[in-house]
Amino acid sequence: MRRVLKHCILPGLFACIFAGVLFAQGPGTLVFGLSGNPDTLDPQKTAGTLTFQVVKSFYDTLVEPDQSGKIVPALAESWSVSPDGLTWTFRLRRDVVFHNGQQFTSKDVKATLDRIVDEKTASPKRSEFSAIKEIRTPDAYTVVLSLSQPYAPLLASLASGWGAILPSDLIASGHNFAAEPVGTGPFKFEKWIRDSRISMTRNDKYWIKGLPKLAKVEFQIVPERAVQVQGLGVGSIDALEFVDPDDLPILQSNPKVTIKKELTSLIMVMAMNCSREPLNDLRVRQAVNYAIDKQVVLDVAYGGGKIGSTFLDTGNAYYTDFSNLYPYNPEKAKQLLKDAGVGNREFTITVPQNYPLHVKAAELMQQMLAKVGMNVKLQLVDWSTWLSSVYSGGNYDFTVIGHTGKLDPDGTLAGYGAGRYVKWYNATVDAKIKEATTISDFAARKKLYTDALEIMANEVPFVYIGTSYRYVGTRSNVFDFRMTPNLDTFDFRWTEMR
Amino acid sequence: MVLRKTRRILFSLASLYLLVLVALAIAAPLVSPYSPTEQFLDRRFHPPGPTNFLGTDNFGRDILTRIIYGSRSALVVGIVTVSVALLLGGAVGLIAGMGPPAIDSALMLLMDSVLSFPTILLAITIVSFMGYGLVQVMLALGIISSPIFARLIRAETLSIKTEGYIEASRALGTGPVKIVFRHIIPNIMSKVIVQCSLTFAQAVVIESSLSFLGVGIQPPAASWGLMLKDARNYLVQAPWMAIYPGLCLALTVLSFNIIGDSLSERFNPRLNDLV
Repeated sequence: MRRVLKHCILPGLFACIFAGVLFAQGPGTLVFGLSGNPDTLDPQKTAGTLTFQVVKSFYDTLVEPDQSGKIVPALAESWSVSPDGLTWTFRLRRDVVFHNGQQFTSKDVKATLDRIVDEKTASPKRSEFSAIKEIRTPDAYTVVLSLSQPYAPLLASLASGWGAILPSDLIASGHNFAAEPVGTGPFKFEKWIRDSRISMTRNDKYWIKGLPKLAKVEFQIVPERAVQVQGLGVGSIDALEFVDPDDLPILQSNPKVTIKKELTSLIMVMAMNCSREPLNDLRVRQAVNYAIDKQVVLDVAYGGGKIGSTFLDTGNAYYTDFSNLYPYNPEKAKQLLKDAGVGNREFTITVPQNYPLHVKAAELMQQMLAKVGMNVKLQLVDWSTWLSSVYSGGNYDFTVIGHTGKLDPDGTLAGYGAGRYVKWYNATVDAKIKEATTISDFAARKKLYTDALEIMANEVPFVYIGTSYRYVGTRSNVFDFRMTPNLDTFDFRWTEMR
Repeated sequence: MVLRKTRRILFSLASLYLLVLVALAIAAPLVSPYSPTEQFLDRRFHPPGPTNFLGTDNFGRDILTRIIYGSRSALVVGIVTVSVALLLGGAVGLIAGMGPPAIDSALMLLMDSVLSFPTILLAITIVSFMGYGLVQVMLALGIISSPIFARLIRAETLSIKTEGYIEASRALGTGPVKIVFRHIIPNIMSKVIVQCSLTFAQAVVIESSLSFLGVGIQPPAASWGLMLKDARNYLVQAPWMAIYPGLCLALTVLSFNIIGDSLSERFNPRLNDLV
């Protein structure tokens, strides 16, 4: 009896305890430093990047961009478009379940798309889906979209965060997705303590076998930059999406921190109000462009990057370089300002104060404009004022902002040439951008966009500062943390902690 | 005795510091080595050294220069705030003290309600309505600081107006306006001056707080609060960006408080001459 105890039970017990400890720790918890609170966790009720960055882990989309930016199957295992571009057929995966246990079928796709186009949802992205005339579900795993006109950017919208598929039964019961997301994604929502943290645990039934590798991800909401950097340095934070270039020296000297440099898909601009005197004069806008040393602004304010020359991110497949048009030339700027008779007129750069990098860029550009004799002052406003007064109201002279990249160029360009916040009107540009949405062929689309972008590069409703680098900081034991190209969302599926 | 001597030394040091500060503020363009907004992008984050005595900030701007120019905004804000508060609060206090009880209660109710708001919150509210900037900050601070003056002056007026010499003067047919200017104001001046120095210190701190929060003085203008705001992000790599403006701010406020305390002791008949 004693021998049995000694040889079988005790080692067995130890083995159990040991296994229990291993299992409890799992493959690891990743703590991610998030710079702010998402406004909501409902992907169809916001345009906020923070929301999409977080909900990317809770939801899947029919199709998704791979690491090169190409759109590949996700919840739909394949799709086809009819030759006239009016009928899109998606074949769905059969092995997907929602976090609440419901099987994923075509019903969910229809309910989700209906929810987006429903005016009551008030989705800011609703117009991207307005070409959909009818949604049919011939069987549980087939969805057929009929469009009222060919609309190529639809695929990109379906691949974006706002195309996230929600479960139909919860949509029907009016579930509060804003506070408690339920999807098919790699992680299940656990808790959101506002201004503190959002935690999520692995979805063991995720449809890509073997993924995700992490047991848990916790978003710590840390708005203070110095605290983020310290956290990464001492290990209380495992990964940061964005390290300010000024903080790089501290982190680079730390052997336990790895910094990865990537080109973002941001389009940093100083927008000009083209309907205002004297900015409606092309010569003045050209002068402003000549006066700004874009590389210096990128290096000092944004931590380096590639200078831009038209209204698209420089890494985009549709981008064409026009940087020979307005190189840095303060003398030419002075001459143009003199010709246009600008004199000592006062201009204001209105900047949202919650974006310190834009404020920094604005301070730099103010000095550069002062050097060519322009009288420019700076005004900081809060984000809601910026949105209502500058972006919607068009009530400004200059403003500095970054446009986030989009999977489809139409997401960036739609509406330009017909006003938008720069109040710049050009019928040719407007027509070309509209026409490009009806064509699926890449080369033909690129031709149209290049024509439009060339006019925008010449007429400069903006100073196209360029596309900045992003420094992603992780602890050295974190591997394969990915950012989705163009969408800048976090992808923890392959991430591992060793 | 020792305590008294220490106080006297502190008072002298504080006065000396403030005199130097005022002199620097007035002579800023003459004594500053650089322009407060000029950026030297090849000289960012330089530690204190021979070319920049107190180092440079994230735009390569000279910190010493910005501190000197920042003292201008601090002092101007202090002076204007105290003047606005004194005029507004003084008028209310005198009217309340001299007028009929109904007006007294109404005015004091108004002043108490202003006083019941947290200072910074009320300042932000006023500034949000009027727009961000130096003038708006000064007006907001003036309005916020006025109830303290109003209460002080009213209380003093009420107690002085029952004095025998005022009764006598009134009996001789002197009008209330003349009584206020001839008798009451000279008699409350000492306490008001003490309050002025305390309010001045408070105004300097709140201006810095508002600028720190981004609703006060707008960049690239120099203000200590704004400098601290910029410095916050570089505490580890460029601590001098925070240390010097913070030190100046602390010393300025401390000096005004020391002077206020010393004056208050000096003017207080109960403490004077008896020690």
